[in-house]
Amino acid sequence: MANNNKKPLRSFYFWWFAITVLLVVIAFFAPLHWMPRVMSPQEHMTVVTMILFTVLAAPVAAGVYAVVMMTLRHHTYKGNDVPPAGPAVRENSVLTVTWLGVSVLLTVVLLVWGLGVLAADDGGATSNPLVVKVTGQQWVWSFAYENNGKLVESNTLVLPENREVVFDVTSEDVTHGFWIPQMGVQVDANDGEITTIHTTPNKLGAFDVRCTQFCGLNHAFMVTTGEVKTPQAFNNWLAAQPSRS
Amino acid sequence: MTTTMTSPMSSSHAPASTGGGLARKQNFLTGVLGGVLFAFIAWALSHHFLDNSSRTYSDLVAVFTGIGWMFGFWLGIGALNAPFAWLIGSDQNRADQLYYAGENQGKVRYWKYCTDHKVVGVQYIIMTMVLLGAGGILAMAIRTELIVPGNHFVNQQVYNGFVAMHGMLMILALIVAVAGPWANFVLPIMCGARDMAFPRLNALSLWTLVSAAALLLTTLAVGSLPVGWVVLAPITDQAGVGMDFFAMAILVFTVSTTVAGVNTICTVMTMRTKGMTLNRLPIFVWGSMIAAALGLYAFPYFFLVETLQILDRTESTSFFVASGGGQGWLQANLFWLMGHPEVYVILLPAIAALFEIASVMSRKPVFSYRTAIAGMAALAGLSILVWAHHMFTTGWAPTLGGPFMVTTELISIPTGVFFLVLVGTLWRGNIWMKLPTVWLFGFIANFIIGGITGIYLSDIPIDNELHGTMFVTAHFHYVFVGSVLFGAIAALAFWYPKVTGRFLDEKVGRISFWLTFIGVQVTFLSMFISGLKGMPRRYSSYSFLFEHTNFLTTVGAYTIMAGMLTLLGAVITSWNKGVPSGPNPWHANSLEWMVPTPPPLENFDVLPVITSDPYNYGEEKVNS
Repeated sequence: MANNNKKPLRSFYFWWFAITVLLVVIAFFAPLHWMPRVMSPQEHMTVVTMILFTVLAAPVAAGVYAVVMMTLRHHTYKGNDVPPAGPAVRENSVLTVTWLGVSVLLTVVLLVWGLGVLAADDGGATSNPLVVKVTGQQWVWSFAYENNGKLVESNTLVLPENREVVFDVTSEDVTHGFWIPQMGVQVDANDGEITTIHTTPNKLGAFDVRCTQFCGLNHAFMVTTGEVKTPQAFNNWLAAQPSRS
Repeated sequence: MTTTMTSPMSSSHAPASTGGGLARKQNFLTGVLGGVLFAFIAWALSHHFLDNSSRTYSDLVAVFTGIGWMFGFWLGIGALNAPFAWLIGSDQNRADQLYYAGENQGKVRYWKYCTDHKVVGVQYIIMTMVLLGAGGILAMAIRTELIVPGNHFVNQQVYNGFVAMHGMLMILALIVAVAGPWANFVLPIMCGARDMAFPRLNALSLWTLVSAAALLLTTLAVGSLPVGWVVLAPITDQAGVGMDFFAMAILVFTVSTTVAGVNTICTVMTMRTKGMTLNRLPIFVWGSMIAAALGLYAFPYFFLVETLQILDRTESTSFFVASGGGQGWLQANLFWLMGHPEVYVILLPAIAALFEIASVMSRKPVFSYRTAIAGMAALAGLSILVWAHHMFTTGWAPTLGGPFMVTTELISIPTGVFFLVLVGTLWRGNIWMKLPTVWLFGFIANFIIGGITGIYLSDIPIDNELHGTMFVTAHFHYVFVGSVLFGAIAALAFWYPKVTGRFLDEKVGRISFWLTFIGVQVTFLSMFISGLKGMPRRYSSYSFLFEHTNFLTTVGAYTIMAGMLTLLGAVITSWNKGVPSGPNPWHANSLEWMVPTPPPLENFDVLPVITSDPYNYGEEKVNS
């Protein structure tokens, strides 16, 4: 009898361990392999947080899968008639309280981490940010910079490296979603409102701008590209653009 | 008898000589005829008399046509007979009531305004399958369009309409998928009641849903709804008359869910038999009641938001239009005040049915019954405080991001309770591997993935990256398809013998399970990768960056379709030709298995007296 009880438990622990390991491997592989190139602190924290959350969730998910595997392997009834009654366990208060305790604890960890990352991001404004006005309209993005009192407009988004950028986002018509996948920043462009996000690009190179809010016929084609340049190259680019006063 | 039964449509005619006049001949067909006739009259009148130079002309005509369809349908099918009879001073007698309950009418009663809760339950099964079928065809069209980059299969305007209509039809289908058939068919018997508390309202909830769904489907023919299923303002301002039909359909749908919810709660609260105390109620009854209560809170917001939408369109108000002083965020708030609780209105009946199935199939009591009820109630309570997590990236009230993140992540605690209850119930049981059990295990596997991916999205820094991408789409499809639909199919396989007296075909059912289960993994795991790579939702075309994962998603979607068609085949063929099951095939203890199969009209000859809950497996048997 005792032997019979240990075999399913061994199977449970085996699957618990194996699936946890598998999920931890996925936790590191998936975000690093599939997510876009990291070009800002926000995107960096997004990737780190996804790995952390997956690692924390791995033993919980693996525990449930392990019970399923153990049950399928050892506790399915093989006869053709009605199975006899199982153990009449209605409650196990130690298990219930432990389970609730662990889920509360995990939730608190997620919240403290998440709120901390959020607060650090909100508090990080510098004294001299570059302000870019972003305007969405069906189905193009346009960007406006101020250069010595003159207005410079562009259909591609050029940003300097390592300087904070504040995006003032609005729309001419319906709601659009302004999103830079490589920088982990996203905010809707609303008609009649200005919404704001900020980031600090920290890698040179090209990035994408996509619309994430359904905006009608050509929603799928409301994309443009951008580039992070060195501060010197950015200033040269800005000066070379035609401008309006 | 004759005067009480005469419908307003037939009031100018002499009653037919036998059987209570024209009202006795009403059915689905006369409903459709009445609807089309009244819709045509309403269209002709409004078309003729309204000022056709007005900007709101076509919207007003559409709204009046919609109203005509609804009232014509209800008149034609007989939904208004009893209220009108009451208005003119006479009420239904016992013979009328038995007639409306479908006594001795055979299969015809399934096409009528029938008050028998078991007939309504079967009608809901058919309704769910029709909605899933229509939504499924659109899903296949969407995936076919997305099999390779570029637009090849349908044009973008049509595609955008398909996306919105697929979402809306599937949401409606899943709202009724478990609560519709089973909270009607088995819930009253489980409580030891002869019928629902309000049998006529029960029929009303079904046929208002039919009339609303029909109107919703006609939008495909009148310019569709190219705005996404959340119908976010202000883009709705650019949609044609399809948007008016949609809004009308939602108003009526809200009436349907409200009527059904009130009925469920009143039945449980007032119709329980002697000894059926609240702590002996089957857990499915608790889950259905909590979901119904949550629906009563949530769906009025839907009514409100679509009413304002109609006013914006027909009366040139501007609740949601910025140029007139309105705000799209108002619409988004109202919509998600409905939209998030609605997710749990969908989920809770499925979860509760699975608790029931887990107990019966593992031959063990439901583990931690009280914690399970508390978990469902806590989930319902929390779900009304989380709506703005759908709006983290809209720019509305950034300072509220933190508080909404807290409420949202707290949801994982009651969700964890559900796994505790399921796993605790299965633990060391003698698992009876039948079709319902197979789908139950599929549910557990998928709901873990759907649940955990929701935690990422509740974290604002991650949401700023993944909001509006295919990652979100994959997440809620794991919840809706992988979990709720699997739960609904488990419930169907479990209670199917009670409805038909026959088992749902075990072998074909398992083929369907494996096709669907593998299909779900291929479809939505690859969709997660598309999302991580940066593909936004509702794209009619995409860059070559997302080529391989989208191809896989389409292949997986076709596999799900094969699984669903297989299941449909089993449901149809087993209905008359399946293996006979007897009245209690699972040897369960709850009351629905104690009555004959199919249950007679009014269920019980003598109402039973209850002395224990139905979960006394392995304990001394006191309840027979």
